[in-house]
Amino acid sequence: MSLLLEIITPEKVVFSNKADSVVLPTNEGDVGILSGHIPLLTTLAPGELEIITMGRTEHLTVDKGFAQVLGDKVSVLTEGAIDVEEIDLSAVEDAQLRAEKALEVAAEQKMDPAEIEQLETVVRFSLVQKMAKEKRR
Amino acid sequence: MANTRDIRRRIKSVKNTSQITRAMQLVAASKMKRAQEDALAGRPYAVLMTEILSKLGGRVSDIKHPFLEDREVEKRGILVVSSDKGLCGALNANVLRRIVEIKDEARFVAIGRKAAQFLSRTQRDLLAEFTISDRVLFSEVRLPVEFLINAYYEGRVDTVELLYPRYVNPLVQDPIICPLIPIENLSSVIDKLGYQLGEAPLAHDKREIHFEPEAEAILEELLPLFIKQEVYQTVLEAKASEHSARMVAMKSATDNANNLVDDLTLQYNKARQAAITQEILEISAATN
Repeated sequence: MSLLLEIITPEKVVFSNKADSVVLPTNEGDVGILSGHIPLLTTLAPGELEIITMGRTEHLTVDKGFAQVLGDKVSVLTEGAIDVEEIDLSAVEDAQLRAEKALEVAAEQKMDPAEIEQLETVVRFSLVQKMAKEKRR
Repeated sequence: MANTRDIRRRIKSVKNTSQITRAMQLVAASKMKRAQEDALAGRPYAVLMTEILSKLGGRVSDIKHPFLEDREVEKRGILVVSSDKGLCGALNANVLRRIVEIKDEARFVAIGRKAAQFLSRTQRDLLAEFTISDRVLFSEVRLPVEFLINAYYEGRVDTVELLYPRYVNPLVQDPIICPLIPIENLSSVIDKLGYQLGEAPLAHDKREIHFEPEAEAILEELLPLFIKQEVYQTVLEAKASEHSARMVAMKSATDNANNLVDDLTLQYNKARQAAITQEILEISAATN
């Protein structure tokens, strides 16, 4: 018996395939899902999502979002998801630097709170990506 | 009768213009197709979102959330979606006319330069201006929405509404105002979404679900996401409208240019013939 995992962002379906087990980074800590799990609806924290298929482990970084486990189907709803293998560290670092710099400027000049929030999201997401990638090394 | 050289020059310039408008028409057509594809790619997200929302909505009976409460409306908050560039027929004019029709106290947030220019020129209360690229990214849409949601929390605006050119068909774009916040009735919204997406009634799934954290907390997090998703879809639709309006405008411009070229060619031939006839007359008159 295996799970059916779907990871969906507003822009596309990032992942849709079978998996033996999934580890979700929820707000209350990591939760491992195996087939036959009770129906569950939970919020995701930005972090690393693990997919284990036939003994192989795949990693995806996800932004905050939601996960629904129903029957043997795991649906993940998130605003951003990236395969760890695809992360380009330098690009991530650049994005992070830019955002951090902008945040500093913003703090001095009192920018729009919404814009600050957006930048913080960039920093948070790129940090998570970087951590995930470095763990792989 | 006009000089043949002048006519020839005009024909050339009109032909040039028609080439440009034709190129713009083709570009707009391909961009429209992409906007539509993007809108379709967002469908699974919308379906899953609705599914989760309906599961929560069915279980949480008494919800207290700022988005669901009924406030007295003093200032409406309106997000206007327009294009950055012109040359797209009456699209922007129609949207801007709707702004003029709004008589209540309102604050505006603009997406696209055309709306921003209009709002500042007519000295309306423009809170912020955002631009969005042709290839709409979710992260770009997030900004204006989060800005408006914050303004709503702070009480600077009492509603969040969207004014955008709805895509009816390639020839017709209809500007409409659609209210987002406050959400009047959660269950009716869910029903409507389910109907739009053509899904089987989701709310009747009564399997026991474990919520972690409790359902109220999840719902609280989900609602802003839901609003963002709605706006993202709307902006995609507005982009599709823009490109199809531009495509149609440029097609009629190309047609007009071609007609003009035909007329001018006729005129040119007449002038040429007249000149030849004139010359023959002069020669034959001289030989006599």
